[in-house]
Amino acid sequence: MKGKLLKTVLTVAVVFVVALTLSTATEAKLPKKVIIGGTISLSGKFAKEGQQSVWGVKAVEKWVNTVHGGVKINGKSIPVMYKYYDDESKKETVTSLCERLITSDRVKFILAPYSSGLTLAGAPVVDKHGVLYMSHGGASDRIFDQGYSYVVQTLSPASKYQTAPLDMIHKLDPSAKKIAFLFEDGEFSRAVARGAAAHAKKLGFEVVFNRTYPKAAKDLTPVLTELKAARADVLIGGGHFADGQLLAKQLGDMAIDFKAVSILVAPTLPGFYKALGTMAESFMAPGQWGIGAKYSPQSAKSLGLPYFGPTQQVFMDYFLKESNGVNPDYHGAEAAAAFLAYVYAIEKANSLNPDDVRDTMNKLHFMTFFGEWQIDPETGKQVAHDMVVLQWQGKKLQIIWPPAAQTSKPFYPMLTTKQRAAGKLAIPK
Amino acid sequence: MILRKYSSFIITLAIFAVLLLIGLLRPTMWQPVALIMFYIAMGQAFNIFLGMTGYVNFGYVAFLAIGSYGMALGISRFYHTGIGLWLIPLGFTLAALMAGLLSVLVGGIALRLRGAYFAIATIGVNEGLKYLIEGAKFWGGSEGIIISKPMRVTFGRHLANSLSTFWADIFLFAIAVLAAYLTFRFMHSRVGYALTAVREDEDAAKVMGVNATKYKLIAFIVSSCVAGLIGATTWCLKSTYVFPEDVFEVSYTVEAIVIVMLGGSGTLLGPIIGGLIYGICKYWLAVLLPGLQLLILAPLIIVIIVAFPGGIVGVIREKTRGTAFDQVIV
Amino acid sequence: MQFLGMLSGNLLNGIILGAVYGLMTMGLSLIFGVLKVVNVGHGAFIMVGAYVAYWMFTLFGLAPILSVPIGLILGMALGFLFFYLVMKRLLDAPELSTLLATFAIGIFLEEIAKVIWGPDFRGYSWNVGSLHLPIATIPMAKIYALMSSIAIAIGLYLWFKKTRAGTALRCLVEDKEGARVCGINVTGFYALSFALGLGFTVLSGVLLTLFIPVGISPYMGGIYTLKAFVIAVLGGLASPWGAFFGGFIFGLVENGSYSLLGLIPNVEPFSLTQFVAFMVLLVILLLKPEGLLGEK
Repeated sequence: MKGKLLKTVLTVAVVFVVALTLSTATEAKLPKKVIIGGTISLSGKFAKEGQQSVWGVKAVEKWVNTVHGGVKINGKSIPVMYKYYDDESKKETVTSLCERLITSDRVKFILAPYSSGLTLAGAPVVDKHGVLYMSHGGASDRIFDQGYSYVVQTLSPASKYQTAPLDMIHKLDPSAKKIAFLFEDGEFSRAVARGAAAHAKKLGFEVVFNRTYPKAAKDLTPVLTELKAARADVLIGGGHFADGQLLAKQLGDMAIDFKAVSILVAPTLPGFYKALGTMAESFMAPGQWGIGAKYSPQSAKSLGLPYFGPTQQVFMDYFLKESNGVNPDYHGAEAAAAFLAYVYAIEKANSLNPDDVRDTMNKLHFMTFFGEWQIDPETGKQVAHDMVVLQWQGKKLQIIWPPAAQTSKPFYPMLTTKQRAAGKLAIPK
Repeated sequence: MILRKYSSFIITLAIFAVLLLIGLLRPTMWQPVALIMFYIAMGQAFNIFLGMTGYVNFGYVAFLAIGSYGMALGISRFYHTGIGLWLIPLGFTLAALMAGLLSVLVGGIALRLRGAYFAIATIGVNEGLKYLIEGAKFWGGSEGIIISKPMRVTFGRHLANSLSTFWADIFLFAIAVLAAYLTFRFMHSRVGYALTAVREDEDAAKVMGVNATKYKLIAFIVSSCVAGLIGATTWCLKSTYVFPEDVFEVSYTVEAIVIVMLGGSGTLLGPIIGGLIYGICKYWLAVLLPGLQLLILAPLIIVIIVAFPGGIVGVIREKTRGTAFDQVIV
Repeated sequence: MQFLGMLSGNLLNGIILGAVYGLMTMGLSLIFGVLKVVNVGHGAFIMVGAYVAYWMFTLFGLAPILSVPIGLILGMALGFLFFYLVMKRLLDAPELSTLLATFAIGIFLEEIAKVIWGPDFRGYSWNVGSLHLPIATIPMAKIYALMSSIAIAIGLYLWFKKTRAGTALRCLVEDKEGARVCGINVTGFYALSFALGLGFTVLSGVLLTLFIPVGISPYMGGIYTLKAFVIAVLGGLASPWGAFFGGFIFGLVENGSYSLLGLIPNVEPFSLTQFVAFMVLLVILLLKPEGLLGEK
């Protein structure tokens, strides 16, 4: 009896071990391709942003291979491949799949997952193996205060998000001094809020209201009642998609008017206008990028910078094919830019060694359709990319700031609730 | 004789040993093994309470979270005192203490309630704690705590990376062994017999003089402390950050329930097998069918509940009833 | 004085929101009262209702109020489907099984919604003017939601009291064996209760969008499940009327406590409001578990 038991247990164990071991015998065959990869959220709370990122990267992957001819090293052109796994927006999955990419798929150039938290989660693994880690969806400045040397950033950090709208309002109307902050209570939004508060102070604004609302709030009326009483000129705030939509809607419900309102994220989506109709007119949002941004080979030349990658129109074409007709928002664009930055840096370094590429990155300053790219050598933080300010004007999302990138003049002051309800459009003269 | 009594515990240790070996011998397998161990350990801690009492703690993830905070606070608030590596045991101690304290507070109230009322009371724990931290703005409020820098400053880059990518998982193995041991001891002790009586028929047990609340509380506290330790290592030490919006996600409680149900609640081997299968399936589904995991798992769960309520261990027990295996698979 | 003005404005909004919350929870209480099943997938059905309202409005221009019966029928259909497919087999199983089963059904609905409709956040705009009061400005859509909620709750109450089916259900709750002896088809009524409960939940999702017409997405339901549990306990877990009144109380507490907590310096009052809500839950469970309005 005992012998039989022992035998069975041993057999099961052996079968098990063999199965697990075989499961990673499928190691990728290499250097015929340069693999740039990462974990990305295709399910869970970041599913939407993750999907945009995948489309964006796939679009430029095609461009690099078909138009650019692959990545050029030592005179040879090697095709690039984008490899990705779904991390389900969870940190444990990020760490385990990240290591798989590095050890099993032998990826040396990792694209970080979406969101600051998940970006942090993958950092120790990346650092241990000495491979590069490009943040395209982790904006928190704190990531770059931790002392990692292999983490670099393509998008603007959180602290910069709402500084552009502040600059713009300060320029357009120096008399608009009273400012209200109403942000979502979350790590990212607070980082934005902190940057905005510091910048507002520098510009001489007076903060008359400063509150947050919880992430899952479904009704903002209590805090909005207070906001109305504060009688501010400008409202800066928001968080993510759903709460931004809710905020805009309820501002209208309660007829609270400002000279300008800049909300994070939500107004940058077409869904915002679909949901609110003309009530969405003249709402502003900061964006890492917008369709129509004037970053092009010509504008790069006028600034004395090299330009790399497809033009915006070509990117749009490739993207629309990948997404089956869905337009890119800035999540797609920033992921694409991250991929392009890797290809460019590898070519400039003329090497596939992460240390060489990292050193070369310190010297680079170039432009893509997404904007300028330059990192701080010590922390890897992005310093040259500027946020743009977007505004809904006449059912279209226009770029109104900075003047160099704008597709339309700003519409200021904002339309009142009454005007928007009557169907007036925010088209500047 | 002794072998038979300890056989399920030995099998558990054997499985852990095999997993550890696989991870050590094939470096590419280390993280997947660590992920599987996380599910196993999470299931085990949950099972200490669920399996013994039949009560569902819907606020389970709050204990993982508070353990995570314990470690984060230990490291971030004390690293400048120069105690170096002692930060780690300090973190674990804090994690266990805080989780224990929370469980006494919650258990004191909730364990007087029966069945569904208990489940609902515990739902509130998770959300309540999260909003308290964010609302009263302590422990970093909604911005949480990041321990990368304190770790790198105290331990230097290489050790800090090692801690996050290797040692955190070794600790997890140790915690899993602890959990298995505690489950085993409970099952074969007075606590276990009392709780079995409670689980089968609480009123009858009370009539017989069993202090149901006391034993339920013991199981609840132990389950929560182990969960706290798991959170401290797999969430805080490994990922180096704690954000409230991240660690209070109810989906982990759900995963724990699935793992225990899949394997068979109330057994020693149940969570182990459940964790193994769940971890492997999840890993491979993420690689092969990104985005569709839950769509496949959800109906699967329903099938298991309807057709195999005793989980896999339950099925095996049925088939081996009356044979030598009967005593082994527990 | 400004404080009082704001407080009363908040409380008024709280009452209106509370009506919708209450209706939303009645389905949960009905299912628990009759079947002793806690529908942990509650939020997913609210989400279904929200999408019904959205699609009916966006595709056919149907006023959301008129989508209410559609929501009810769809919910009942889903209820019958899931009852005969899953719940019937679990009637004698331990509590854990039904908890998990309802949860899995909820997840399944969310994932299907994500696959069919995508993870995008949707919304619509039904502009029917606003009511301007001195303490607050309230969109008419919310008033309609309030009136409909009250009307539907009264309707359900009458159904229970006056119709044969309703009476039979009440007998069933009181004494299962006695009801069976009286010739009541127990399983059939279980199915009906489950279907009604889910029907009401989907219906409440439609009304919810009158109140909050944006942020509609596959995972929107989770937060409502939590609120519904608090409200259900408040009103007495097995009592649909208790749930309805519990909703009002919850709405008042949620909105009112914001003004009071706002007086404390250096905190985030809105987040603390949510904390207060859950503490209320624990206090009630401790002191009067059968709910403020339930009977032991």
